[in-house]
Amino acid sequence: MPAHAFTRSWPADPALIGATPSPVRLSLPAQPRNIAVVRRALEAIAEELALPRRLIEDMRLAVTEACTNVVRHAYTEAEARHASAMRVALLPEADGMRVIVEDRGRGLGPSPDAHGPGLGLPLIAALTSQLEVSHSADERGSRVAMSFIEAA
Amino acid sequence: MTEAAAGPNGSPGTTRVSIASGPLVGPVLRRVVGMLAARADLPLDRLDDAVLVADLIATRAPAHMQTGSVDVDLETGDRTLFLRVGPLRPGGGEALILDASVPGVGNVIEQLADDITVKPDGESEYLLVRLAYAS
Repeated sequence: MPAHAFTRSWPADPALIGATPSPVRLSLPAQPRNIAVVRRALEAIAEELALPRRLIEDMRLAVTEACTNVVRHAYTEAEARHASAMRVALLPEADGMRVIVEDRGRGLGPSPDAHGPGLGLPLIAALTSQLEVSHSADERGSRVAMSFIEAA
Repeated sequence: MTEAAAGPNGSPGTTRVSIASGPLVGPVLRRVVGMLAARADLPLDRLDDAVLVADLIATRAPAHMQTGSVDVDLETGDRTLFLRVGPLRPGGGEALILDASVPGVGNVIEQLADDITVKPDGESEYLLVRLAYAS
C-alpha cells in the first residue's frame, strides 16, 4: 500500500538537500528546459542500476511533474533564473530510487491559469511507492520526496 | 533567494551537478554534458568532443577533488559550453590536466578544449574548460 503524506514540514534549512546524503545532486535554474536535464540524469542512473523499463517510465513522469510544479509555481521569472532555484537529489536504493525535488520559492500552489486543483500531485502519488510533500517551516519552499520501488 | 551564484562564465543560470565519486559519475556527467552541448547548438563532432572531455573528467577528477564528490558547473553560451570543475585540491587543476594525457594521443582535454584555465579560490582551485564551435 503506498504511503503518502502531504502536510509535513521541514526545518527552515536552506541547505537541506546539501545535508542529505545523496550520490547525485543537481542545482538548476527553475526553467522548463532544465526539466530535461533532470530527466537525463535520472535515466542515466536508472539504466546503470538496470531498473525495469516500467519503473523508469513511472519515475520519469513523476519527476517531470514534480519539477514542472517548481517551474510553474515556485518563483517569479527573475527568481527562477537563479542557479539553485530547483534542487534535485537522486538517491539509488537497493530496490529502486528515491528522488527529492526542492525549491526555496513560494512552494506548491494552484496555477494562476488553472481552474481547480491540478492533477500533478495525484499523478505523482499514483506513480510512487511513497510520497512526502512538505513545506518549509519558514514558508519558503517546498519539498517533494518520492520513492520508487521495484515491484516484487 | 539570497545566494549570488555565478557560473563558469561569470553569470547566473548555471547547472550544477554533484556526483559522489563512484560508478555513477561517468554515466550522469556524460548525459548532462551531452544534453547541454546540444542545447548550446554545438555540431555533432564538437558534441562528441564535449562528451569525451566529460568522460575524462569523470575518470580522472575524483583523485583531485577536495571532497568525495565530483562537482561540475555547466553553462551554455552561443555555440559554447563552459565547465567549471571543483573545488579541487591545491595543485589539483594542473594535475587533472596532466592526468588527461592518453598514451599515443597526448593530452585530450588540451587538444579538444578552446580554453583551459586553473583558477585558485582560497584553499582550493577550479578547472575552467571552454568548448566552442567557430563557424
